[in-house]
Amino acid sequence: MDDKHQTTPEEMFSFWMKSAMDFWQNMATVQPEASTPFGFPGFTDAGEKAKKGPTRKAQKNFEAGGKIFQSLMKSFSKPENLDAMMKGMDSVPDLAMVMMKQAMEGYQELQKQFMERAAKMGQQSKAYNFEDIDQDTFRAIRELYEKEFQKFLKVPSLGLTRFYQERFNDYLDKHNLFQTSLSEFLYMFYVPIEKTAGVMQEKLEEMAETGEIHDDFNQYYKMWVKILEGHYMTLLKSPEYTQVMDKTISSLVQYRDAKEAFVCDLLQRLPIPTNREMDELYKEIYHLKKKVRALSKQVDGRPSPKKG
Amino acid sequence: MSEPKIAVDLILKKLTENTEQAKSRAQKASEVLLGPLETDLSTTPFEVVYEEDRMRVKYYKPEKVTHKYPLLIVYALINRETMLDLQPGRSVIQTFLDNGIEVYMIDWGYPTRKDQFLTIDDHVNMYMDNVIDFILEKHGLPHLNLMGICMGGAFSVMYSALHPEKIKNLVTTVTPTNFDTDTGLLHIWMRNTHAYDMGSAYGNMPGDLMNLGFLLLNPARLIIDKYVGFFEHIDNKDFVENFVRMEKWIFDSPDVPGTTFRQFITECYQKNLLIQNKLELDGKRVDLKKITMPLLNIYGKFDHLVPPEACEHLTQKVGSKDKEDICLDTGHIGIYVSSKCQRLFAPKIAGWLREREDTPKKATRTRKKKTPAAETAAPKTAATRSVKAKTTKAEGAETKAKIKKDTAAARSKPKRAKK
Repeated sequence: MDDKHQTTPEEMFSFWMKSAMDFWQNMATVQPEASTPFGFPGFTDAGEKAKKGPTRKAQKNFEAGGKIFQSLMKSFSKPENLDAMMKGMDSVPDLAMVMMKQAMEGYQELQKQFMERAAKMGQQSKAYNFEDIDQDTFRAIRELYEKEFQKFLKVPSLGLTRFYQERFNDYLDKHNLFQTSLSEFLYMFYVPIEKTAGVMQEKLEEMAETGEIHDDFNQYYKMWVKILEGHYMTLLKSPEYTQVMDKTISSLVQYRDAKEAFVCDLLQRLPIPTNREMDELYKEIYHLKKKVRALSKQVDGRPSPKKG
Repeated sequence: MSEPKIAVDLILKKLTENTEQAKSRAQKASEVLLGPLETDLSTTPFEVVYEEDRMRVKYYKPEKVTHKYPLLIVYALINRETMLDLQPGRSVIQTFLDNGIEVYMIDWGYPTRKDQFLTIDDHVNMYMDNVIDFILEKHGLPHLNLMGICMGGAFSVMYSALHPEKIKNLVTTVTPTNFDTDTGLLHIWMRNTHAYDMGSAYGNMPGDLMNLGFLLLNPARLIIDKYVGFFEHIDNKDFVENFVRMEKWIFDSPDVPGTTFRQFITECYQKNLLIQNKLELDGKRVDLKKITMPLLNIYGKFDHLVPPEACEHLTQKVGSKDKEDICLDTGHIGIYVSSKCQRLFAPKIAGWLREREDTPKKATRTRKKKTPAAETAAPKTAATRSVKAKTTKAEGAETKAKIKKDTAAARSKPKRAKK
């Protein structure tokens, strides 16, 4: 080979294909008579027996598989097919890059939110004011999830088990949404603690300047809990909190429904009645009892038997 | 060199003292916690006289019966009625028994999934009606005294409007009837969220979730400060016993039947139908004007669950002539468990019922304005002076004029058959 000639990927692939083809061709054409069950020549009786039975069947399957692979390799070694395959393989990295890029952009946005949040920590937080609660982070998480991940769970399911797949995907989806809402809800309860720390700091500074330092730590605790209570009272009445609470409740209810549906699917395989089945029974019993009571009152003017 | 503003030496000295105190407290605390503690609730003897589904009725018999008409107490579906019999010395039930009143109390039990379809109508017109019929039949009486607490009070109001002929006197305590207020957090949350969906999602509204909601009403005090206070007094046996008793009661929360919960939130909290006379139970409208029996309405000034704004409108809407509001300087639970209110609350009710024991049911007795000191039958103490009784205004002249008008109207119209 010429030193200056650089081997192209197509040539390498073609060489590899040919080698593989030769190998499997040789393997496929090995005579069954020459091979005995234990690989020892001379045991012709064993070789005769090997012509029939499961071993011969396995060998036939192996031969057929080898021939299929041969024809595949032959097809791939044709220049035009090889060319098409190389083009296809070229696009795989591009596809992966696109997916990675999307995920990275989402992650960078999220990180930006975190950094902005961290930067705000040094700023003064207004006491008894909850209009500036940083909910953008949670909004970003939710948007990232809805934009990048939720669509995979919403892909239409196919086949015999499509309904079960759908319900399972729905359960996962609602679980993730609930977790996001719950995180935001719990964060709301952390905010007053943060604000109280800020207010306490200011008060302690004032007290230190005027020399009104208590030697009883209980006083500081009482001061802290009173300020905290005030912050919570303001927060819990605010529309921001009510909205987050409503969102959390709604996502909890949806998650619960989705989980119920998924668990019912699982329980159907077991000899255990599901909540859905029991609820139907309970409803029937409820209506029946109501009817019996009404009829009982009509008949003898008294409700159904009771302990007196 | 100027004197330091912070006396570090004093702080350190205090810290040392506190550490020594904490050590001594811990030693006593272990003796208290590991020793015998009397924390049982509901120790007043009773007999279960009626059972229907999950509900049962407890009967408390006094040593000497001095009241002709028994008192039926209807508690809320949230938490347990054992609060009325928390401990000896702090038992509303015992006070009633000491005043010679036979007491029946509904124990709503612990709903299971099969109870999720029960409605408010089932609780009011089925369970309550059956219990009242049973009691009336047992005593051979045409009517009895009814006392409702919180949501049980709302049920009692509904029942009294639908079956006024069976109720002699009505007492409502910390009872929400007007839900159009933003004073209480519960009102804000119930009106601005879809909390009622939780009942449907779980079948019944879980008691644990409700407990969590109540804790969130004031997390600083109810989750942090309460337990700090406990640890500060952990070496005090009486304190620990009272604390544990309250803990036992407050976290003993049955589930609420899902349909009832949903109905109560949507029709009461969100649409406020009760006070507007628009609430319907099984097609029958609850008309507060049909409540004509004497009414005593007690509520707490510092009640964060059922604020005064939610309670005080009831007396203006009922058809009763004999009606009275009492606002006590206490909260939602304090009205039953605080030792101060024990001397005001139950004796006041007993006295009020005694005054109306012999009056005919349809008497148009006018409640005259009295000074707060003269109203209560309880022994006068410093705490009694803090009770602020509100009576209806200008009742005397107004009532007389109305009686004349009603009598004239009745003469001119043909009599209608009673339902």
